[in-house]
Amino acid sequence: MSGAWAIAKKELRSYFLAPLAYVVITAFLLLNGFFFYAILAVLSQPGASSASPMSLLFGGTVFFWVFLIVTVPVITMRLGAEELKSGTVETLLTAPVTDFEVVLGKFLGALSLYIAAWLPTGLYVWAVSVYSEVDPGPVLGGYLGTVLVGLFFLSVGIFTTFVSKNQVVAAILAFALLLLLLLLSLISYLITDPIWKEVFSYMDLYAAMQAFSRGMVDTRPVLYCLSGTAFFLALAYQALQTRRWR
Amino acid sequence: MIEARELTRTFGQTEAVSRLTFRVDKGDIVGFLGPNGAGKTTTLRMITGFLPPSAGDVVVGGRSAQEDSKAARRLIGYLPENNPLYEDLRVREYLAFRAELKGVPRRDRTRRIGEVLEACDALEVRDRLIGACSKGFRQRVGIADALLADPPVLILDEPTVGLDPAQIAQTRTLIKGLSRDHTVLLSTHILPEVEAICTRALILHRGRLLFDGSVEGLRKGLSGGQLTCTLRAARADAEACLAEIPGVTQVRTVMESGGETRLELETDPALDVREAVVRACAVRGLALLELAARQISLEEAFLSITTDEAAGEAVP
Repeated sequence: MSGAWAIAKKELRSYFLAPLAYVVITAFLLLNGFFFYAILAVLSQPGASSASPMSLLFGGTVFFWVFLIVTVPVITMRLGAEELKSGTVETLLTAPVTDFEVVLGKFLGALSLYIAAWLPTGLYVWAVSVYSEVDPGPVLGGYLGTVLVGLFFLSVGIFTTFVSKNQVVAAILAFALLLLLLLLSLISYLITDPIWKEVFSYMDLYAAMQAFSRGMVDTRPVLYCLSGTAFFLALAYQALQTRRWR
Repeated sequence: MIEARELTRTFGQTEAVSRLTFRVDKGDIVGFLGPNGAGKTTTLRMITGFLPPSAGDVVVGGRSAQEDSKAARRLIGYLPENNPLYEDLRVREYLAFRAELKGVPRRDRTRRIGEVLEACDALEVRDRLIGACSKGFRQRVGIADALLADPPVLILDEPTVGLDPAQIAQTRTLIKGLSRDHTVLLSTHILPEVEAICTRALILHRGRLLFDGSVEGLRKGLSGGQLTCTLRAARADAEACLAEIPGVTQVRTVMESGGETRLELETDPALDVREAVVRACAVRGLALLELAARQISLEEAFLSITTDEAAGEAVP
């Protein structure tokens, strides 16, 4: 697995050598910061609900998901598509590394940037703690959920970037698939048949994230996210293998 | 070191490489020749494990490129066609990444990167962005990468394409130097390159192996049977004299001027008739001014081999 580690480090370095990482992190923090300010402003109004600002930040509103389905494709779109387009995939795949190490390395590189983008939000926790008591459960749950959903979504992006040579196509495909995953979250509300309702409720990321951000960690969404990650990484591996036959 | 057995690769309906069998021994420096689209790159990609063969197998250093791919790849330093590199990295960063990927131990990496850059005469671009390097330096960085893990086998796909003449000469000297402790297989469609560097040549045309032997043999095999000579004699006398020699099958006058006649002889390739020509002229009292086996250039040899094949195919 040392090959995967080498690739992950190289990808993280490439992110920060190109402006992409700075653009993504800056835009993410600006929007997220403004959003957090709005949450605090609303909650400070007289008669506002007593909800915790941190649980609203993590999945309490639709903004969390908008950030995610936009940021993730931007982070992942370059990783495979650029290798395929520039032909560097040939040097990569003829080095003594397995195809799976390549996929895993790319995934870990993307995950590092994703986590790097979220890290500064730790300041929000500190800002809130200055003025009021912070319950650690919802904060930790919120971050855990963010990482889990991040793993899942990033794996979708890794899959699409190995499907197309074109970064824009890879990004749009990832965006569409992520949107589909969010729609799957809503299906359980539309279905009346109790068995199917139960089945689709397992896929309800929206509810899962709300539970996480209240500090409730259920194993079902954890399993859903992890198995989804494994599934899309396996698809990415297949996509890369198929490339060899063309 | 490299052994291809019935190596075949198809893309859809097209058979890019067809039942290729050859071996490259340790210490050989082999030129892989063929016109564009002959299947050279496809074959090299199968040897390096980038493309799986449709049928057959290739073994590198005793390891199958398919079943034991990772171990086989460890033995190979590969410079792909067009030498793709990460433009956004500096040369030393790129080589550090490649060294880690190839499992060069951490403590040896810096030393090794210095060594290969020095061997390729590219130390001065160590800190330059690859995207800002000239084509010649990029090529050297590519070769440096191939050398990084000190693999016993080097596979170079068109290593001098797109370089200027001075760079081509440098790159050839470099490759020739490398052949002292490496087995080298390089592909090219430039014949003088093979003459300049290689000891053996493999000629590929439309996915099939047409020739496998020494570079000398490639030239000799085709020049055998042709002589040119100049006599101080009238045309009729000269032709009469030479046509009598056993082993000479055809006499053609090329030029006649000032009492000298220049002729081309077709001879039985199995016989060396040069001595007989000298004697026959002496007996008839004709002065022999020049006698030479016709030197055929590799270009001619190559064209003759590939076009013979094409003509053969045209016949149903």
